[in-house]
Amino acid sequence: AETWRYAFEEAMDEVQGKFAQKFKEEVEANSDNEVQLFPFGTLGESADIMEQAQSGILQFVDQSPGFTGALIPEAQVFFVPYLLPADEGQLIKFFRDSKAIHELFPPLYADQGLELLTMFPEGEVMMTTTKPIAGPADLNEVKFRVMTNPLLVASYQAFGATPTPLPWGEVYGALQTGIIQGQENPAFFIESTKMYEVANNITRAGHNNFTTAVMANKEFFDGLSDADKTVVRNAIAAAFDYTVDYQSGLTETSLQKIKEARPDVTITTLTEEQRAPFKATAAAVEAKFLEIGGPQAKPILDQMKADLAAAAGN
Amino acid sequence: MTYAIFGSMIGLLLLGFPMMIPLLVGALIGFVGLFGGFGQLDTMVQQILAGIRPASLIAVPMFIFAADIMTRGQSANRLIDLVMAFVGHIKGGLAISTAAACTLFGAVSGSTQATVVAVGGPLRPRMLKAGYNDSFVLALIINASDIAFLIPPSIGMIIYGVVSGTSISELFIAGIGPGLLILLLFSVYAYVYAVRNDVPTERRATWGARGAALRRALWPLGFPLIIVGGIYGGIFSPTEAAAACVLYALFLEMVVFREMTLRQLYQTAKSTGLITAVVFILIGAGAAFSYVISFAQVPQAILGAIGIDGMGAYGVLFTISIAFFVGCMFVDPIVVILILVPIFAPVVKSVGIDPVLVGTIITLQVAIGSATPPFGCDIFTAIAIFKRPYAEVVRGTPPFIFMLLLVSVLLIFFPQIALFLRDLAFAK
Amino acid sequence: MIDVAIARIEAVLLAAGVLLMAVNTMANVVGRYVLGESIFFSEELNQALIILITFAGISYAARHGRHIRMSAFFDAAQFRWRKALMIAIAVVTAAIMFLLTWYSFDYLLTQMRRGRLLPALQIPQWWIIVWVPLGFFLTGLQYTLAAIKNLIDPNIWLSTSTLEGYDTSAEEEV
Ligand code: NA
Ligand code: NA
Repeated sequence: AETWRYAFEEAMDEVQGKFAQKFKEEVEANSDNEVQLFPFGTLGESADIMEQAQSGILQFVDQSPGFTGALIPEAQVFFVPYLLPADEGQLIKFFRDSKAIHELFPPLYADQGLELLTMFPEGEVMMTTTKPIAGPADLNEVKFRVMTNPLLVASYQAFGATPTPLPWGEVYGALQTGIIQGQENPAFFIESTKMYEVANNITRAGHNNFTTAVMANKEFFDGLSDADKTVVRNAIAAAFDYTVDYQSGLTETSLQKIKEARPDVTITTLTEEQRAPFKATAAAVEAKFLEIGGPQAKPILDQMKADLAAAAGN
Repeated sequence: MTYAIFGSMIGLLLLGFPMMIPLLVGALIGFVGLFGGFGQLDTMVQQILAGIRPASLIAVPMFIFAADIMTRGQSANRLIDLVMAFVGHIKGGLAISTAAACTLFGAVSGSTQATVVAVGGPLRPRMLKAGYNDSFVLALIINASDIAFLIPPSIGMIIYGVVSGTSISELFIAGIGPGLLILLLFSVYAYVYAVRNDVPTERRATWGARGAALRRALWPLGFPLIIVGGIYGGIFSPTEAAAACVLYALFLEMVVFREMTLRQLYQTAKSTGLITAVVFILIGAGAAFSYVISFAQVPQAILGAIGIDGMGAYGVLFTISIAFFVGCMFVDPIVVILILVPIFAPVVKSVGIDPVLVGTIITLQVAIGSATPPFGCDIFTAIAIFKRPYAEVVRGTPPFIFMLLLVSVLLIFFPQIALFLRDLAFAK
Repeated sequence: MIDVAIARIEAVLLAAGVLLMAVNTMANVVGRYVLGESIFFSEELNQALIILITFAGISYAARHGRHIRMSAFFDAAQFRWRKALMIAIAVVTAAIMFLLTWYSFDYLLTQMRRGRLLPALQIPQWWIIVWVPLGFFLTGLQYTLAAIKNLIDPNIWLSTSTLEGYDTSAEEEV
């Protein structure tokens, strides 16, 4: 019996936390191993826990590919806007069957000493802004907080906003005092971090879905007995199913909770017509990805597109 | 292992080792114990760097720098002269003004360490000259700076709000009442202190003299404008306001007052760098130590043994207060919040305590912890800035900690101190 | 001679680091309001500078005996105990600094191998941590020299240049 340690980037009752708790439950039910969970910040920031997983201090870690971009540039493909489908059924099918995720990415992670176990979607990314957004014109002059990633910066520049880097801890205060006027995140995160209190217009432009990868330290994983490997793989599969289930309707529930907490919040889903000018910018960001996405950028992007077409059923 | 860690830390501290050593040795024993050897010390280095890296900490060296320029030049004295023209004749007036200045500056800058430097730096020499005892002055500055955590914006409250799912706006408003109550208690104490020690007062200034002081202070009044107006007006983040103060201070002292030479600028920058390094290595070592505590799940083990589930509301609130108070004495406050809040969340919910009240109480404990020996970061900062021995810096703190603990107890029995304004603002 | 040169370099790095940090932070504000474009690497540059300042500063502080310590019990002890204790403190501190030199160098090599980039600057992350092993090493060296000085000199030295005790009179300019 061993103790395995699993750190992730979110709190216990957010999506990554739910996934990790299910994983722990499955492992402990089907083997005599124990799993200790370390939520957001308890062992450091995203880059810190990733390094700890590479060093073998942690056996399991979650990191959204956006952050992994600093290590594996190809992972930034998940920041190309309007690449992932808005339709939930297609999205799940893609994550289950994608050749890019299950065959092309694992060797890239292996080069960094990591076993890629799975990737899963966490929910549609929405903008929260102090003024309502109907098109790129409304983003003009809006200082919009994005993670420090070249593709996100390029996206929001293309959308017409002024992308502004800001440490996560300062975002709430900066929205309140007006240093910035917007930020983006999935609905559950907007709800749990109370961003709607200080930026009460939520816009669904359907430009992306927040993605996370689950990894194990490769040396640890390779050293497991076949029985334990099976336990881990099954637990990952069970947690994936559980999370998909948990998430269906999560976006709506979160938005409803927001609406109950603050009736003055507006939630706008852009029409296909309104999305068109945003979508038109995607090609430029895609080109930027091919430029900075590392040697495998092109094959990965092509395979993702093929996988997405397959998931869409044509 | 826990005993070995805490025992050696206290031992090395008392023997007179540089304070980074007890913290580093505590972390070292932890890393070697947890991972059965020296194999994972890379991660200890990583955590030291993780401790000094956060962007919000940049405000600390910037305010140290600005305050140092102001104090060496004329800006600080002119501002203090202005305050003295209005309160110099009141018993304890300068001390009360210092406490109020710490509150205001701490409120907007959000950093207790920056407050110790920026307000304490210029005001301490004046208070000493006015006849206050140094231990009192140091303790007043360190503890009044704590109020920074309670008055918005407060990083501690943001983290608590995110981890516990509590409205951050409500937390912000709830912090104001206890923050002002603490200021009131400190002011009363300062008055009593001034009367009992017969600190001399100045003659009441004439309105003409006050006008002259105001004219002299016109340029330096740009500092409060940059800090308060800039941050609340949405122009600057606190860090940027700090940098703006540096440039404004350089402009005043080098161009307007022509007091400072390039050579002095170099000296000031160097001394700022030195103080920054001395404080930040402790923050880094503290972060490595916090990691060990977090990784070994020490708090979970201790709290699991106490058994909070059977307690009533008062029992739970007292346990929370004590846990955060003790935790923050040794470990970085943010880490304490991240670890402990989820542990307490179920029992808070089941007993039915208002999470905003819990957040306010926790924030207060975090504030107290940062000014409490042995490892409070404000104490390090004060030692580094004022070059006074540890014992002297902490000698005057007991009455202040007593007042802070009194407010903690009052909060538990009279939650309206915190919730009154919240209920008013959110019509609850 | 070399020591004087090192001290000089440390001092210049400290001062330059602090000044650059102020300019960099303000440039970001100017960029945001005047040019409508944030400087994306501003935060990473500040990170690099704070690491530089901290690790150039700890050896400079060791040289001038400015590291914070709780000396109440130490000060109350008899001279020969203080002398012995000061040597022990310097030796143990130096040993820990050298240990951290080794492991921070190891960490540096690991980061070089992994090739993590700084997201905004798009340069390898190890560039900003090269100071870490150097800072620990020079600090260890300072404490070693302090131990030696205490062994050969009859007085008690906090560092090679500073006698024990708090100098309240003339503010020493370091
Ligand atoms: Na504050
Ligand atoms: Na503390």
